[in-house]
Amino acid sequence: MGQWAQRRVEDGLVKPLSDAESHRFSRSRPPPRERRVRVTQTTATTDKSGRSFVSFAVDVRFGSEWSENDIVGCAYTGSGDLYVKRGDAYRPASFLLGKNEGPVAGVCEAAPSRS
Amino acid sequence: MLVGSAVITASSLAYFDFDTLPPFVVEKLPVRFESLWLASLRIHVAAASLALPLCLLLMTRALQRRVALHRWLGRICGVLVLLVLVPSGVVLSFDAKGGAVVTAGFLLSAAIIAWFMVRGVLAARRGEVVLHSRAMRHVVAQMSVAVTSRALLLGFDAAGVDPDVAYVVALWGPVLASAAVAELVSLRTVPFVRSAAQFFERIRREFHPLALVVRVRSLARPHVRLGR
Repeated sequence: MGQWAQRRVEDGLVKPLSDAESHRFSRSRPPPRERRVRVTQTTATTDKSGRSFVSFAVDVRFGSEWSENDIVGCAYTGSGDLYVKRGDAYRPASFLLGKNEGPVAGVCEAAPSRS
Repeated sequence: MLVGSAVITASSLAYFDFDTLPPFVVEKLPVRFESLWLASLRIHVAAASLALPLCLLLMTRALQRRVALHRWLGRICGVLVLLVLVPSGVVLSFDAKGGAVVTAGFLLSAAIIAWFMVRGVLAARRGEVVLHSRAMRHVVAQMSVAVTSRALLLGFDAAGVDPDVAYVVALWGPVLASAAVAELVSLRTVPFVRSAAQFFERIRREFHPLALVVRVRSLARPHVRLGR
């Protein structure tokens, strides 16, 4: 599960981000030297709609030190959909690639336990 | 500076593609008042892409010699800066990345621009060219921060400096340095701070020695008026 999620985040988010980034004459943050993906769950969690997901975090390195949790989000095991946290809400990962995607309610949130 | 301004304008065209979000916007969202912030960003970018090249052109001798044209372009630039550029910049500054320190830096720069633009316009209306020049140097110096700050950011990125630290230094450094340089250049152009010899030479050229002699003579031996 962990290896699948890592590969999915690398292929679906980290690689497209690296391809899209460049050193611009702009106030936007420069692209990091390196990114690494960490899958922060060993087993999948089920959300309110019954779909299972795995949480992940992406760390970045600009100089010599790593900065953790630059991106946090989740990967859905069935569909492979990726969501990233922006503020208090989760949006489709394509938001980070420039698509004007709004927050999606209920994703990446564990369903309340039945006890 | 003109090249830098052109590069900024070219790279800012992405802000007017309403289907996609440029990296700077992606990085910033979500913000408190998203519609206001996005509108302010687009207005600020459009105003800056006109105001900075216009201000740079107004500083050229060629345009300063054409007084009527200089006056009209100056009026357009003044209105653009005071009513569009500065207010939109102030709105953006409250959501600047880097927190209160960076907000303060942008607000200081905006205050310098607004203050000296008003003073410069008033000085021009009174015909005080030296004061007008000094004020406009400050305005252009602060507007040049847009270029110098981005150049510094690229330099810091190449040196591997932490982007959060780089952002603060690349803002405050150029804001303070530009104000200092504008003031130093203005001081150098005022005649009385040059050497005393130059100062007296200027007085000598202005007042003919004969005029002084006549004046002294009239004080020492005034003509007696008839009837006294």
